[in-house]
Amino acid sequence: MNHALTLRIGPATFRIGAAWPQPIAQLQRLYAAYPDVTGQVADFTVRLQPTSMVRRWVRPSIFITGDHGLADAAPMSLSHGLLAAEMGMNLQMALGWRRHLLLHASSVEKDGCVLVMTGESGSGKSTLAALLGERGWRFMGDEFALLDLDSGAILPFPRLVSLKNRAIDVVADTVGQAHMGPLLAATAKGDIRHMVPRADAVARMGEGAMPALLLFPRFGHAPDIRPVGQGEIFMRLTQASTNYVALGEPAFVALTRFVRDVPARAIDFPTGEDAIAMVERLWEERA
Amino acid sequence: MSAALLVRALRDPASVTTLDATGWNGLIAAARAERLIGTLAFRLAEIAVPPAVQPILADARTDAAREARQALWEADRAVQALRPLDVRVILLKGTAYAAAGLRAGQGRFIGDLDILVPRDRLSAVEQALIAAGWEWVKKDAYDDAYYRQWMHELPPMIHRTRDRMIDVHHTILPLTARPKPDAAALIADAEPIADGLYMLSAEDRVCHAAAHMLADGDLQGGLRNLWDIYGLLAECDPSLLDQRAAHHGLRAHVQQARRLALALYGDGARLTLWDHLVRARLLARDGWGRETRKALVFAFFLRSHWLRMPPLMLARHLWTKWRKGHRPT
Amino acid sequence: MDNSLSYRRDPADALLSCALEDLTLLYHRRSGQTHMVISPVPELLDRMADGATVTAQALHDRLAQDFDLGPADEALAEIATHLYALAALGLVRPA
Repeated sequence: MNHALTLRIGPATFRIGAAWPQPIAQLQRLYAAYPDVTGQVADFTVRLQPTSMVRRWVRPSIFITGDHGLADAAPMSLSHGLLAAEMGMNLQMALGWRRHLLLHASSVEKDGCVLVMTGESGSGKSTLAALLGERGWRFMGDEFALLDLDSGAILPFPRLVSLKNRAIDVVADTVGQAHMGPLLAATAKGDIRHMVPRADAVARMGEGAMPALLLFPRFGHAPDIRPVGQGEIFMRLTQASTNYVALGEPAFVALTRFVRDVPARAIDFPTGEDAIAMVERLWEERA
Repeated sequence: MSAALLVRALRDPASVTTLDATGWNGLIAAARAERLIGTLAFRLAEIAVPPAVQPILADARTDAAREARQALWEADRAVQALRPLDVRVILLKGTAYAAAGLRAGQGRFIGDLDILVPRDRLSAVEQALIAAGWEWVKKDAYDDAYYRQWMHELPPMIHRTRDRMIDVHHTILPLTARPKPDAAALIADAEPIADGLYMLSAEDRVCHAAAHMLADGDLQGGLRNLWDIYGLLAECDPSLLDQRAAHHGLRAHVQQARRLALALYGDGARLTLWDHLVRARLLARDGWGRETRKALVFAFFLRSHWLRMPPLMLARHLWTKWRKGHRPT
Repeated sequence: MDNSLSYRRDPADALLSCALEDLTLLYHRRSGQTHMVISPVPELLDRMADGATVTAQALHDRLAQDFDLGPADEALAEIATHLYALAALGLVRPA
């Protein structure tokens, strides 16, 4: 393809090709601090290609595909090309990664222990991980937490943090504009802006740690902390995993061990500040 | 052209030792696009590959093992569901190869469960499957009538809880196609595998694979079909195969499949002009795994419908599809 | 539910089990499926582990050695229902 880039995020290497220069240039700027893996063998190929020949030039429209793709994926506008590239990489991980159990969760680390947060889009897990990453925690990932099948450790996947709508200003004020990507207005999920993780998150992206607390955050509710039954935790984690079924028995063993060993709470919070206070308190009280 | 790299790697696994990173990226992208990555991983099991490639191939082998396990489980479920009917469940394609441990099954991608049953037992089979939890995928009346009137199989069904598809065939080509294989002979000569499962005889397996590839499709997935054929040919007697193919009206297809299989995966063969076109279509994939030669690909899409249907019917069918927003891609 | 039907467990249908509080998770290797069950299903599967062919009645008698099952006809109907459901999942097989 005319424009291309190879990127490594955590344990995975992506070869991204595009019919247009803009998405690749944006990736190059935002992933500048990541390891240079140009010319290496990639785990996955991502393609951002025109939906038809005409759509390369006239009202350019991106079809996201690659080694793994969805035939009915909705096309995206070229102005959202960065988001398309990120979605393309997520798609490869979700459908093709087999070396760890993939949990749709954010994760941060402190003192050699990992806090895992899982929930639907809009639960606040991304924002919370981004904010904690600015307050003494090591940011590990906002989209996928990788559970090692043998050791039970959580491994980082620190791609750009995808912030939506109200979360954008909260985080941009904290980290500064230099660490932020372009504003992608009016995407299918609302306004989106990407944030570059801190240098330590990138430098230590090969380094896992054992999980110590699992939270099910819920943004926009009165403060509340509830215990969660192990059966429910197991159910919710299998639903939050795109490769649990594909991995078979090793995933069953790793996930049941995770559920038995890691304490869990559901937390509701009205603002990010409340959430951080609750997380810090639960972290102190854990075990 | 990365499809050519893929064919070379399958034919001569040691050839990959000369690949650089660009070559490997192209080979892996093509193998995934052609759903031959598992097969490739098995072929390269004994070859020293770069460290970055090892986990990719190991993942592909794990996936293939799971595919086979799930396919065999679906076959087991179908046998259980049809047990009261006293109908032989004849497995077709990937599931049959996996169940019987055939070479063509090693690392093979297996999608739906395909079974063959006698046409006069179709409705009983349909009822038994519905009772055991399978249901129709589409409720669309046009497609349904089309299947029942012209096709060689029931409309696809999917299992309510397991989410896996089954295709119930009563013969191996659509009724509109020119060759008319002898379905009764296919069924009568089927061989037992184990646990109530059957497969076609060695010669019929080649006839089916050749018919499926060359008389009933636009050659999507053609490299994989041809790899199947290459492996299946080794298990049958050439003169018996020739007789059998003639009996089914598939002699030309089987001969062409044999020429192409030997040309791409074996020691070579003399190709006709038409063979060269098919070969070009099969190899139309670039270093990013994209299909190239769009005009040729579209020509084969039209041809595949032409093969199955008389022209007027084809026009009507395409019109109905396009009106609903379907486009060949 | 027909109490006279008989079932058995096939060695090929071996299960990996894990208790989580009051639930039991079963991983069925042959299908790659995970099932979440509660009592009396694990007990019932346990008592079929020898592979012998059993009816609901025979299984009832086996269970009654270790548990108080209450009125026999109700317990029998429940066991027959469980066996039917387990057969649909492929964890036990009609004999």
